[in-house]
Amino acid sequence: MSTMSTVSTELGILTRFEVLSACLLALLPCVGCGKTAESVPSKVSQVGTTEVTAVLEEVRGEFVNRANYDYAFVMKYKVKAVHRGSVEGDTIYVAHYNPQKARSSAADARVPDIGGNVTRFRPGDVHRIALEAPIDDYYMGGIINRYFDEYKGVIYWAVWTDDAQ
Amino acid sequence: MAVFLALSLLAPGAFAQPPASPDIDTLAKEVADKGGLVYGARSENGTWDLFLSRPDGSQRRNITNTPDAEEAAPRFSPNGTRLLYRRMKRGTEINHDKWGFQGELILAGGDGSNPVAFGGEGEYPWASWSPDGRQVVCLFPKGIKVYDLNSNSVTREFARQGIYQQLFWSPDGKWFCGVANNQGESWTVVRVDAASGEVNPARKYQNCTPDWHPDSNHIILSSRPAGQPGARGYGYTQLWMVSGDGAEQQLLYGEDGSHIYGGAFSPDGQYVIFTKGPKDGSGAEEAGAPICIIRTKDTPMITGESVELRKLHPATKSGPVLTLEKGWEPHWAYFLSGEKERRQRKTE
Repeated sequence: MSTMSTVSTELGILTRFEVLSACLLALLPCVGCGKTAESVPSKVSQVGTTEVTAVLEEVRGEFVNRANYDYAFVMKYKVKAVHRGSVEGDTIYVAHYNPQKARSSAADARVPDIGGNVTRFRPGDVHRIALEAPIDDYYMGGIINRYFDEYKGVIYWAVWTDDAQ
Repeated sequence: MAVFLALSLLAPGAFAQPPASPDIDTLAKEVADKGGLVYGARSENGTWDLFLSRPDGSQRRNITNTPDAEEAAPRFSPNGTRLLYRRMKRGTEINHDKWGFQGELILAGGDGSNPVAFGGEGEYPWASWSPDGRQVVCLFPKGIKVYDLNSNSVTREFARQGIYQQLFWSPDGKWFCGVANNQGESWTVVRVDAASGEVNPARKYQNCTPDWHPDSNHIILSSRPAGQPGARGYGYTQLWMVSGDGAEQQLLYGEDGSHIYGGAFSPDGQYVIFTKGPKDGSGAEEAGAPICIIRTKDTPMITGESVELRKLHPATKSGPVLTLEKGWEPHWAYFLSGEKERRQRKTE
């Protein structure tokens, strides 16, 4: 209540035109943001050779705690739609680099070209992912694969991972 | 020969640190004329340079002295007459985990003379010598390639089998070892049969910096075993020796509170060289860590209080630890001289 009073007092020294102009100017960036977001497609459709929408079915076990050591972590997905390329079956195994980091800050000198807007990995979440395969052709570093005993097929490398809820 | 002459200009022990005990003094004298060490270290110009010294630390001299570049990871050729290493732009932080991808590959004489860039930035990643010193083996995402150094042609190419860093060729030419993803776990040191390409784990879980024992049957490596309570459960990295097939697993050296990296044997296998620092990662991002030498016959050895480590390894030996300057990734060669070297060079 006191804050609102202060604003009223400050506005009192402005003309109606100035107030109206200020309100319109304040609204413009919001309108612009909305248009920009719609007009610039995510990189998820521009990178990788395969693009899917998939449900993160399982994150097996805990992420590892190894300070100073980067790694990729294999997760299990159920594919809902294939937008580009092809995948074998509807269950795929995807490795995400340094999964404890938000995708927007996961890229580094070793792996400069990954990204996305997913901030954390939770089973049940739906992701739109740009993929490459096999992972060994695109990533040379530690891989934690807790599905090794039950699955010997291709491991996909997540290049770009967006939220697709 | 050049290395031998360079080191022969000064008498053994000329610039050595005063020994801390009679045992250490004895060890220093024992190794003083056994070839030389090469390693990266911070120099007065503020960058990483390469240094050559006798194994007792004497006759230390800067063999690159490049204020505009950072040099790291030197390796003598198997007969000690040549060096390879990585050279990076000044200010590049050497990453203990990625250095093989960094900078350009340099080939030089064993004393650092006539350095020549072999390829450009990032090329020939993780290059290491073939047993005859005529080739280098490199590690790429899409496979392992062997290059003939004279023709710069690929003489062989095969799958990397999950190996992602620190690839080394055994002295007998029959094996490779490296750090790999294997059976679902990363940081596994593996052995690859050079003829068949078959791979087997030599030691699983949190291992790196493998190198060959001169017998080509054993691998020295750094390992941080699980279940250590120290460092809030993170544990400390120890030096281990394993047989290539993984059947034998033996602690060589450890000390709770220290991380041991860059292990290598002297060319005759009688001594072990390594770095010992308080931080994980061997100090590559800073100024390295003290270089240490112990006798192989004194292993397994535990120093310091190391209550937890001694519980796990009650039957250890004791012996002197010769501590030298700070450095990173030291390597040891016994130099040939005179007619023997000329004959060796003719065969190459």
